[in-house]
Amino acid sequence: MSAALVCQISLRNLIKHRRRNLMLFLAILIAVAGVVSMNTLIRGMQYSMAEAAVENLTGHVKVHAQGYRDDPNISHSFALDSDFANEIPTDQLLGWAPRVRLPAVVMSERQTRGIQLVGVDPAREDISFLYDVELTGEGLADLDDQRVLIGRELAAQLETEVGRRLVIITQGGDGLNRERGYRIAGTYNAEGVSLEKVFIFTGINPLQALLETSHVTEVSIRLSDEAATDSALQAMTGFFAQQDVADWQELEPTAAAMFLFADAAIYIWFLLMMSALVFGLINTLIASVMERVKEFGLLRALGMARRLIVAQVVVESTLIMTVGLLIGTACGYGIYLAMQDGIDLSAFAQSTDMLGMSTVLVPRLEISDLVLIGGLSLIMGLFASIYPAVRAVKIEPLEAMRN
Amino acid sequence: MAEHADSSTALGQMGERSGRGGSLYFRIAWRNLWRNKRRTWLTAGGIAFAIFLVSLGMSFQVGSYASMINNATSMYLGQMQISHRDYVEDEKLENTLLGATELQRRLNATFDIAIAPRAQAFALVSVGERSFGGLTVGVDFAAEKQVVNFFRNVNQGELPSSADEVLIGATLARNLGAQLGDELVVLGTAKEGGVAALALTISGTFESGQAELDRTLLFTALETVQNGFELGDELHQFVIRVKDLDRLAQVKAALQSSDILGDGLVVRTWPEYLPELVQSIELDRISAQLMYGVILILVTFSVVNTFLMVVFERTREFGMLLAVGMRPTAIMSQVLIEAALMWLIGVLIGLSLTVGIVGYYAQVGLSIAGMEELSAQFYMDPRIYPGLSADIFLLAPLVLLVGTQFAALFATVRVRRLDPVVALRAN
Repeated sequence: MSAALVCQISLRNLIKHRRRNLMLFLAILIAVAGVVSMNTLIRGMQYSMAEAAVENLTGHVKVHAQGYRDDPNISHSFALDSDFANEIPTDQLLGWAPRVRLPAVVMSERQTRGIQLVGVDPAREDISFLYDVELTGEGLADLDDQRVLIGRELAAQLETEVGRRLVIITQGGDGLNRERGYRIAGTYNAEGVSLEKVFIFTGINPLQALLETSHVTEVSIRLSDEAATDSALQAMTGFFAQQDVADWQELEPTAAAMFLFADAAIYIWFLLMMSALVFGLINTLIASVMERVKEFGLLRALGMARRLIVAQVVVESTLIMTVGLLIGTACGYGIYLAMQDGIDLSAFAQSTDMLGMSTVLVPRLEISDLVLIGGLSLIMGLFASIYPAVRAVKIEPLEAMRN
Repeated sequence: MAEHADSSTALGQMGERSGRGGSLYFRIAWRNLWRNKRRTWLTAGGIAFAIFLVSLGMSFQVGSYASMINNATSMYLGQMQISHRDYVEDEKLENTLLGATELQRRLNATFDIAIAPRAQAFALVSVGERSFGGLTVGVDFAAEKQVVNFFRNVNQGELPSSADEVLIGATLARNLGAQLGDELVVLGTAKEGGVAALALTISGTFESGQAELDRTLLFTALETVQNGFELGDELHQFVIRVKDLDRLAQVKAALQSSDILGDGLVVRTWPEYLPELVQSIELDRISAQLMYGVILILVTFSVVNTFLMVVFERTREFGMLLAVGMRPTAIMSQVLIEAALMWLIGVLIGLSLTVGIVGYYAQVGLSIAGMEELSAQFYMDPRIYPGLSADIFLLAPLVLLVGTQFAALFATVRVRRLDPVVALRAN
């Protein structure tokens, strides 16, 4: 007996009970569509958080001078040899930015705050959150710009505005204070206030001049793909043997833990949905077997092999699972497309700021997830058909036909 | 003859009868359930599984929210704060509470609350040649212990024991290059515009896990800040802990309606100054509800399926019942009762599982590997202790009661159109 015949019998049987199989199909569809669309949302959240962590002046890989992380001081700095960029394949390297970043005190006419003063090359900051912030006034022109760019929230706290002056005090390598007045070029509106309160940007050259150094305190390297982090980390550890090289997971442990947590959430969500589904699936398959006791008995009496009886049940389960899976995935994809513009979470702005994610949640579709969901669902379908198949095989021809 | 008439209409009238008729329905329904044991167990198992998942999830939510609220409020900001209306708008030094000592005495005398007074000023903080900006907070260390857990975070040295000692954030200490015993100078602007200068000795450092606090805060005695910044008997906040967090709203209302609080003072509770906590809980609640919704719908579908099979298999039986005069609605209510009984079995199993597991974890707590990193950041305990509340026992069962009844109804509407003659011939 051929496989085609087994499929034919199974298909006929599915169509014969179309009402209940339609219900089963709908349940599979809802479960799959739910899992797929939820998956894209969790992935979207996960990558939004990871990206924010990377853009938060971290980059995928970052080089500090030894000792800087314990004592952020200009004496813990290093001379940057830009040859390092050659160590990373150009197709993996999105960009890199040198910075001088020091804790400092900022004073307006009325208020005083502790902040981080960051000397940057604005042209290179296309790798950090600075490239897409909304500005009031102007951004920094170039690496010689002597003005500062400050967060909107900090400007409010300092009761100051664009065009006014600030005094910033920081320490030089000799341990003595360096105090200088700066004009505010503009204010930036990052999505969350936590960045706005901390970072003040200025041109890197005048800051180095003020500190009487040509060193930088850090180099942040952004890769085009997160997956290249490990190899880039190795290359940089080799190049900057004297310095402290770390990847974003080490520098942003909270974001890294959230990243792993989201991976787990995806499996948990899948497992729960599918277990809820499996009860109905087993139930329907058993009913389908028990209704056909006579038929199976007859087939056995005519000499049909046991494995073909098993095959019928398995094929029936796999058929309905496959159809549900395909259409469910299509529906999930449709939901994903409908959400493509992003879900507005601005009503939860403080919470998303705490989580370090954007206020617009854009779903993210990973083909590998779809393959995984599909594969696991089919395995689940096979698993659900074990017991019904065993029942079918146990049918004794004589007894069955007598009933 | 009369006897015969009576018995022939007995079936038909069952729907209108009460008492004996009702219990007969239940007996028949119960017997019907066990005609196909496996199917009943599988369907009830599905119901039980869904109820178990949803109620277990809800009890862990209740537990973790309670722990988040408790940890967040006892972290630093407290459950309730009293301050001047202007200070809420703008944390300026001059927006103070007047007559603080007398006010605190009267509040303590009238209400059963713990109060921690705080006066705080942004200023330049220097050790040796290094300076940074910091928020100098004058506190009553003994009172703070009754209100928040913040001062358990001392990681080096100890709490200030005299008015010229100071406790500073670990990151601030690192930035300042400061050691225990070093002299620290606070330089700022006093309330009346003069120079405020404090020379303090570092007695300890704290590490709270909240980067912003560790970077900016330093604590010294309340009177040190009041004297140094020319505040007199004024301060900025009373941070308050009520004995029972569930009664927070009542205490707030009582405070507001009492005549102790003068003009311009406002009472705020934690949702007002910890909006991220309210939102996180709300966000989590919404996503969990989404999941519960899908699970409950899935199980409802499998119940629909079960009853489609029930009705299909019993077409002949129904045909016979119709032929002897039973009304379609009576047959349908018969099936609805079967559905309700199946639901009841599922509910009993599901909820007993939940109670068992929740009972166990309420004792020992559930710890998730890798959660330690996140827990401090999101105000959570590394162990989650589930909690119970009435809606945990009600929500999922009630939704599924509606679901199963609806499912049974959907599967049996066909009975109304059933022709007894055709049905009797069905196989």
